Amino acid sequence: MRKIASLLSVLMLVCALAFGQNRTVTGTVKDASGNPVPFATVTIVGTNTATQADASGNFSLSNVASNARLTISATGFAAQTLSASGNLSSIALTRSEGQLAEVVVTTAGGIRVRQKELGTTTTVVKAESLTAGRAVNVAGGLQGKVAGMQINATSGGVNPSFRVVLRGQRSLTGNNQALLVLDNVIVPNEILGNLNPEDIEEVVVLNGAGAAALYGSQASNGALIVTTKKGRRGVTSIGVSQTTTIEEVAFFPKIQKSFGAGGSAYGYDVNGQPTFSAIENQSYGPAFDGTVRPLGSPLENGLQDSAVYAYNDGHFKFWEKGITKQYDVNFTSGDVNSTFYMSGQYADVTGTTPGDKYNRASFRVNGTRKVGEKINITYTAGYTQNRYDITNQTGSMYANMLNMPSNVDITKYKNWKTDPFANPVGYYNPWYQNPYFTADNNRSNQRNDYLTGNLEIRFTPLPGLDLVARQGITTRNYSNKNTVGAFIYSEYSKHTESSSKSDIAGTVSDGSSYKTQLLSDLFAQYNKDLGDFSLSAIGGGQWTQNQAKYLGISATGLVVPDLYNVSNGVGTPGVSESSYKARQIGVYGDVRLGFKRFLFLHGTVRNDWVSILAPENRSFFYPSVDLSFIPSDAIETLKDSKVISYLKLRAGWSKVGQVNLGNTDNFGAYYLLPTYSSSASGFPYGSLAGYTVDNILVSNNLQPEITKGYEGGFDLNMFSNRFVSTLTVFSTKTDAQTVTTRVSNTTGFSNLRTNTGQTQSQGVEVTAHVTPLRSRDWNVTFGGNYTYLDNKVNSISADLPRLSLATYGTDGPGSYAVAGQAFPVIMGFDYKRDPEGHVIVDQLTGLPTKSDTISILGNAVAKHKLGLDAGVKFRNFSFSVLFEYRGGYQAYNAMGPELDWAGTGYRTAIYNRERFVYPNSVYIDADGKYITNTNITIKNGNGNNGFWSDGINRDVTSNYVTSGDFWKLREISLAYDIPESVLNTTKVIKGIRVSVQARNLFMWMAKDNYYTDPEYSDAGNDNNGIGLTGIGQTPPSRFYGATLSVRF
Amino acid sequence: MNKIIAFLFIGIGFLVFGTSCKKYLDINDNPNQATSATPQLILPQALTTTASNLNAFNSYGAQLGGYMANAGGFGGFGASISYNFSSTNFAGLWTSTYDNLEDYQTIINETEGQATFSFFNAAARIMRAHGFQLLVDAYNDVPYTDALQGANNLTPAYTDAKEIYKDLSDQLDRAIATIDSGLAGTGVTDLGSSDVLFDGNVTRWKQFANTLKLRLQVRANGKVTFNNTTFSSDGFLTTDALINPGYRRDNARQNPKWESWGFTATGSDALKSWIPNTFVFSFYNGVKLEDPYRGGAIYYNFPSTGTNRLGVENNSIASSPSGSFWYPSSKNRTGASAGDTTGVLKGPEAGMPVLTAAESYFLQAEGVVRGLLTGNAATLFNNGIVASFKYLYQLPDGTTPGNPTADAASYMADNSESPLVNFALATSTEQQVEAIITQKYIALNMVNSDEAWNEYRRTHYPTIVNTPGATGTQTFASSVSEATTPDKLPTRALYPGSEGSYNSTNVPKGISVYSSKIFWAL
Repeated sequence: MRKIASLLSVLMLVCALAFGQNRTVTGTVKDASGNPVPFATVTIVGTNTATQADASGNFSLSNVASNARLTISATGFAAQTLSASGNLSSIALTRSEGQLAEVVVTTAGGIRVRQKELGTTTTVVKAESLTAGRAVNVAGGLQGKVAGMQINATSGGVNPSFRVVLRGQRSLTGNNQALLVLDNVIVPNEILGNLNPEDIEEVVVLNGAGAAALYGSQASNGALIVTTKKGRRGVTSIGVSQTTTIEEVAFFPKIQKSFGAGGSAYGYDVNGQPTFSAIENQSYGPAFDGTVRPLGSPLENGLQDSAVYAYNDGHFKFWEKGITKQYDVNFTSGDVNSTFYMSGQYADVTGTTPGDKYNRASFRVNGTRKVGEKINITYTAGYTQNRYDITNQTGSMYANMLNMPSNVDITKYKNWKTDPFANPVGYYNPWYQNPYFTADNNRSNQRNDYLTGNLEIRFTPLPGLDLVARQGITTRNYSNKNTVGAFIYSEYSKHTESSSKSDIAGTVSDGSSYKTQLLSDLFAQYNKDLGDFSLSAIGGGQWTQNQAKYLGISATGLVVPDLYNVSNGVGTPGVSESSYKARQIGVYGDVRLGFKRFLFLHGTVRNDWVSILAPENRSFFYPSVDLSFIPSDAIETLKDSKVISYLKLRAGWSKVGQVNLGNTDNFGAYYLLPTYSSSASGFPYGSLAGYTVDNILVSNNLQPEITKGYEGGFDLNMFSNRFVSTLTVFSTKTDAQTVTTRVSNTTGFSNLRTNTGQTQSQGVEVTAHVTPLRSRDWNVTFGGNYTYLDNKVNSISADLPRLSLATYGTDGPGSYAVAGQAFPVIMGFDYKRDPEGHVIVDQLTGLPTKSDTISILGNAVAKHKLGLDAGVKFRNFSFSVLFEYRGGYQAYNAMGPELDWAGTGYRTAIYNRERFVYPNSVYIDADGKYITNTNITIKNGNGNNGFWSDGINRDVTSNYVTSGDFWKLREISLAYDIPESVLNTTKVIKGIRVSVQARNLFMWMAKDNYYTDPEYSDAGNDNNGIGLTGIGQTPPSRFYGATLSVRF
Repeated sequence: MNKIIAFLFIGIGFLVFGTSCKKYLDINDNPNQATSATPQLILPQALTTTASNLNAFNSYGAQLGGYMANAGGFGGFGASISYNFSSTNFAGLWTSTYDNLEDYQTIINETEGQATFSFFNAAARIMRAHGFQLLVDAYNDVPYTDALQGANNLTPAYTDAKEIYKDLSDQLDRAIATIDSGLAGTGVTDLGSSDVLFDGNVTRWKQFANTLKLRLQVRANGKVTFNNTTFSSDGFLTTDALINPGYRRDNARQNPKWESWGFTATGSDALKSWIPNTFVFSFYNGVKLEDPYRGGAIYYNFPSTGTNRLGVENNSIASSPSGSFWYPSSKNRTGASAGDTTGVLKGPEAGMPVLTAAESYFLQAEGVVRGLLTGNAATLFNNGIVASFKYLYQLPDGTTPGNPTADAASYMADNSESPLVNFALATSTEQQVEAIITQKYIALNMVNSDEAWNEYRRTHYPTIVNTPGATGTQTFASSVSEATTPDKLPTRALYPGSEGSYNSTNVPKGISVYSSKIFWAL
């Protein structure tokens, strides 16, 4: 190595000869806090000679005349000019005023790049923005802050899961979630929910496929590059904080408040009112009258439960106030050679579902160490453990609850162990369990331990050349125990009319698993300035291995009650085992060419080899190119413009291959050969084994999906950066989708796995912020981000017009991909309609008819997304607020049919349970003409034996498809920093901040949405079938709380 | 130091790039699931799955054919009581039958032309014929010639039902011939323990094939010209064909009917939303016929069993006891130990009937009456009644308490005035057919209910009253039937929605549940 170095210095010497008595100067650029300022430009005043500092702020400039002066400039900082002969070892730059779009960001591969060089869209979310609302989950803290990003909660509860999608969905059935990169290591998306938000320095969102060259095909969905905090040189401090947050249900389904238990099935009274029933779960009985009526049958000892027959808001009181307590401590320190950051967090959460508990403890150590002049070592390690103690029957509890007439005060039935009316034996409702009992009797205990770590050695044999070796690991260790308690009913309770009461067998199931990802990187990076040109080149390789194993065992019919051990069951225990391993090799190159610091051309190439495809298909290649041009630096007239302070034009094109097989649990391994199952129909029976041909037709010739896309746009800052904006137009097309399509069962199979179909995603992303007031005391900024998204399925295949993504029942209502339509659409049953869309009713009964086949009922993807934010700083007060809007889409609310079944549904009483003319209906007269129906009424406006609870209402999906539009007050926070003048007297405390904050404080839904938050996705994290909300999610919550942080 | 690091980098680079890419990536062998299976492994599973499917067919037939009605306290029966079927009703019959047929097809494909596997090939071919008849009888035209070809034909065309019947008869002949050639050869692999239907007895397989062929030809009602109307000398089934892989009180290993209507393996109640239908009950409780023997063998609390007319929903309707009214024991009704009894549920260990001796005899009797076979119709008819008693009296272990033959004789004596029991009183062909089908209806009650529903649609026996206001003993049509047919009953199930979605160009259009009939239907 030394030889090469000396050769290079010989070359430099040759150049230097022209200037005579010149020398090489070196220095380090830092900010006011002593942190290195990367990539500062160092120019010799009066010449064209300049260089760029490296990522650590170090620079070296040769041929410097002894009397020369140097100008050090860096974006975001005020330029400084000083003598080349002075002390350059710690040049302190001060931050320049104003919010600048152009900063240095850590992008793919941990490469720090000036934003102005990037030809693709990049959004930076800084720590203070991320944690403004004190969300326990990082995804919650990102909601509404990034154009082009859609975050959907896929579950409620104590630790909601989030689905993060950038620029719409590309893959029909494969993974569309943004890649998560933590400190340069690809980690599973679930890590997002298990990170301490306080540890995060910044999140860089790459909306497009920009990270694909360095992270491989998984980055075709965009990426979140999360960088955790590092220690600071020369600064030692300790921070502690405490946050208490209250969670309460913010939106309840709309229910009718006029009618109670019973129905026309029990006959009618003298006034023609349907008869009351003391045991009926369905609220199709007579109108509330304020009398005291019995509830249920008498107990064996003759006692009778009763309730006032009037509306009671007990339904809403069922959900409790959840409390989250979050404790944080961190320590940071650093000297010349090393930095150190350490943090711990403990969060203790109780949920809105009675009895749900969750806690999370995380611990992190990050550090850097300089060994000699040429070696830098970086290490990060995070450990998180979480523990759940929750019920896994939220959905059935919710259903049980909705099946309690609204005059019944649910909260009365909490003490089921001691109260005979609340105990299952005596509980008044024979068909639906007491929800409190359901919660207590069905428990799920889960534990997760996550370890993520990264070790990097950076060797700099000569200036500009870095050799980097990096090893990352992410591992999850999981176990769970789910239990159902045994319950034996009394003979009396089983054999009165309560015929649905049936003994409950005790069951227990245990699962354990591990999942480990190893990621090795080895690359070389070379930076060089050649006069007007600059060059930055990276070449390297990447090795990934994913491995997992899952074990499950379950036993039923527990013999000794309350002994929840799988050895305590009767019969053969259920057992399952599966293990998976997949590997990938990637080789990549990345070159960025700069010209005069205003034109940057960036190109990447990568080739991947994957283990999960057949050898002949396992290798695939993908390139990308992007261009950035800064007219405000290039064009003389713009340079001095008072109006335009910064203008960047950018454009990019990319192609990425992605193997979309399997899911994040099995990595797509073993998908190429047909399988035979050994457990069909109860096999094995003792020594008799039996196998069945599985139902998926597989192809051994599967190929990667190919996404090609382009984007273009500009960044424009005006009036000394008081106006900051970006605009991006993008378009991607994904071909040769790997899909498992349904096929006719008459083939002998139910599904075919093949490459077919194309999707398309187009849209516009805009951000704009204005700072009208900027002074010593005041700083006011407001603005927002807007996304228009047109996400479509262009084709699936000639034989298959549609593909089911997530459905209720086989081929039933749900979320579908349909050629030529939005991706996805909601399909389901509708009423039969005339050509003008009026519902056709029977000329005699007035009843509509359900359509024979499912049809498209709505677009499930939000076309418009808007985030509006404002920040006000006045002296030591900081205030911020964020609103989010989504619009132009629909959702199917699977809760609706349950509500209407129960008779508590709001819709069921809109005609006051009387005869009614079906709105907007027509009938067919004797001549076959459609006649507007004004007088043919539906005979029985009651349910139970009439319209509302019948399939003719509940099975018609369109009745429950509502607008998904909403506005949410996503975050609001107010913080106060105790003035330094006060703190200075303590000499120990460097800062105290108190803040109050709230998330999702208010939400405004579309008028026809009686049900729940359309942001939920009932289909889960890994499913592209968005647009469905269900009963498995608790009602949407608001969070509010306060934080006290102290820094020593 | 720097040199060392530099060498380390270069070293790692060579090491990693030097490792064989192929070796590093060739790790895609499935450690979790088999990627091939022998006929010996597939056959027992396929037969057991057929038994599960027959349980679903039984439920479908029992709902439509007057054996079951909705129980008190439950609501939301929808199309089950209105007959306003959509493409989702009974869709499971279609998918599970084709899924099961694929297993038989796989055995046929694996064994075709291999003399050593003659018995496996023949057994699979017979079961394939059995499965396709179930489909034709429920749906009429179905994919047959083009079906079960996997990726070679993703949208199989529909074959005319009559053509399917014709070919199934030939397939059964071919299976019998394959068994005969196997018996003549050497080194043939025995079915052995893989045969959970006939325990490796290939003669009974041939009898089963003959009986299935007879069923096809009787049901075809003269509407199909069969290539071969003679039957092999092996004769017809004289004992019950029961599938039993070793059913037991264990998770997912119980007799499927017991699991559906009795108790779960842990002793919890099974489905309680259905109870016996008033219509069929009238053949036991003296309203139409007097049969305390089989009535008592089948029903709990006979003759005070709770019954209902399909469609009647109010709070006067009896609710189902734990273990259902089809579990007759009054001694042990504790879920965790119940079982070991007579009737149609018997217990968790009982075998599942594919085709009972009673059905075989009644088919033969009708065959004689219609001139398809020669023999004594009266003897066969009486044998059918006795065989029904024998099956219903049998316990799960195959033993038979009591005296079914004597009780059958008493039954015939008690009802000697009725031409439905006393065959001598049925003089015309039509009366004889009515007697045979009605007795078959009684014998198939909750045994193979779908067969009775098929026979009703073919013959309109047992006789029901179609006039408005008919009572629950006069008709088994739902009280809230929306059917427009004279008997207020639907004529068929609709093709499942999946065919409309994934085989739309081929699936027959314009099918009505009230007017489209199976080709053999009256």
